[in-house]
Amino acid sequence: MTLRILKPGLQTTVQAGPRTGQRHLGVPASGAADPLSLALANRLVGNAAFAPALETTLTGVKLRCDGMAFAAISGASAKVRLNGERAKRHRTLALADGDELEVGPAKAGARNYVAFAGGIVADEVLGSASTYLPAGFGGLQGRALRAGDALEVGPFDNAPDMLRTPKEFRPRATTSWALRACYGAEVDLLEKESRFDLFDTNFSIGNRADRMGLRLEGARFAVASGGRLASAPVFPGTIQCPEDGIPFLLSIDAQTIGGYPRVAQVARADRHLVGQLRPGDHVRLLWRDSDSAREELLAKHDYWREWLPQISAVI
Amino acid sequence: MPSGEVPAVPAPEVFLCGDDLVAAECADTRSAQALADHLRESGEWIECVAGIASCSAQFDLVKVTAADAAQRMMTALQTVPAARNVEAGLVDVPVCYGGDQGPDLDEVCRLLGMDRAAFIESHTGGEHCVDMLGFTPGFAFIGGFDAAREVPRRPQPRLRLAPGSIGIAGGRTGIYTLAGPGGWQIVGRTPLELFDAGREQPFLLRAGMRVRFVAISEAEFDARRTP
Repeated sequence: MTLRILKPGLQTTVQAGPRTGQRHLGVPASGAADPLSLALANRLVGNAAFAPALETTLTGVKLRCDGMAFAAISGASAKVRLNGERAKRHRTLALADGDELEVGPAKAGARNYVAFAGGIVADEVLGSASTYLPAGFGGLQGRALRAGDALEVGPFDNAPDMLRTPKEFRPRATTSWALRACYGAEVDLLEKESRFDLFDTNFSIGNRADRMGLRLEGARFAVASGGRLASAPVFPGTIQCPEDGIPFLLSIDAQTIGGYPRVAQVARADRHLVGQLRPGDHVRLLWRDSDSAREELLAKHDYWREWLPQISAVI
Repeated sequence: MPSGEVPAVPAPEVFLCGDDLVAAECADTRSAQALADHLRESGEWIECVAGIASCSAQFDLVKVTAADAAQRMMTALQTVPAARNVEAGLVDVPVCYGGDQGPDLDEVCRLLGMDRAAFIESHTGGEHCVDMLGFTPGFAFIGGFDAAREVPRRPQPRLRLAPGSIGIAGGRTGIYTLAGPGGWQIVGRTPLELFDAGREQPFLLRAGMRVRFVAISEAEFDARRTP
């Protein structure tokens, strides 16, 4: 079965699981910016949680199936059309040869995941099929999809069950987010007042927002780094604050080393939400210590396990 | 509400920097690298990354509490072997200095009060050591250019550097492996491909390797560049 891209949208890439264990070589994670939504889409077509799928950005994607297929969509809220007729997210869709599937612009949230039974056949590089755009590897030739691209879908043994994601397991995209976060390594470089404000500011996401990171606008923080800080490891979810006082939040393609004060770290339980933030969205950081963040992560896993048994490998 | 303090950990040089991240301060890059290698060999961590003067490790928060992770880091600090004198080999890195390949060479010379010939002699004169790879795949932080200790980064990063660009900042040489933005002062460019995801060995350099820079002409650069 072949997928033909008709409209690629702003930035549609093939994404799977993260690259792990190679940050010391400068290799970022990449993979689905919202791994929970990727796993939910794959669940509906009988795939492993991190089988390669399409990740759309803001504007969606339109494609044609050359052959029959089973597909499912999860992620940002957006209209879905199958041959021009309204179709639904969060359920298994049976597609016939020649069918056209369109994911419309995201109304809330930033990214949708379009999974196909069998998974998309993609370049596996350094242990993952995920596209890493800055270095141009993984996915389809390491790049975003273009109109006319053809993608192969892998074989599958049995037609998947026609499923719907139960309502309580459909993440609701919003424009106003709360992210639990712990102090970062250099939080001391923020003046005391700023340290308090970090967890008491209604941030808005700046216009420069991509898979590497997002600016948190709305307050200026006084940071006493003197502009010279020894470069130190950073991770997806790290919030750094440069001298201009405007923090930025690193996302799934985060570089491995950074030179700005690390003032906070989004907790593992909420890191998947970073992939749904879009310019103009509001964000509040909720302070946690590591122990309470751990309890909340375990509770979140307990909640999701009923629908996604492998949840602790997903988020 | 923040209570004002990062949760207490058992030693000042070990600290948490996230719910699933623990870090240790290190005397220098070599010891940070040795600690990261030591942690990685234990197989207990998801990521072990050295910085210039610290090392961070990511743990599986499902299986390990912060207190346990901090304790493991403490133990690692006590058991880490002294920074190894890795016999990881000596790599000659050919560099075409100045001109289009090194637009900041004259500025760096001005900052150092040297002429071009003296700069090139100084940069090619000794052995350097790869402190770490990081930032983007294969970007090499190469220490040992003390003459340029006071050379700062550019006030404004350049938006697009060619892969192979050789930058100078703060006593280090950096080699950009990918096209993209960068803030180091660019003095030249190597025709070597330091990173190629398609190669069996994607990374030409590794932390601990020794490097010698060798000056080449523009013509040699063009000849050695893979099309």
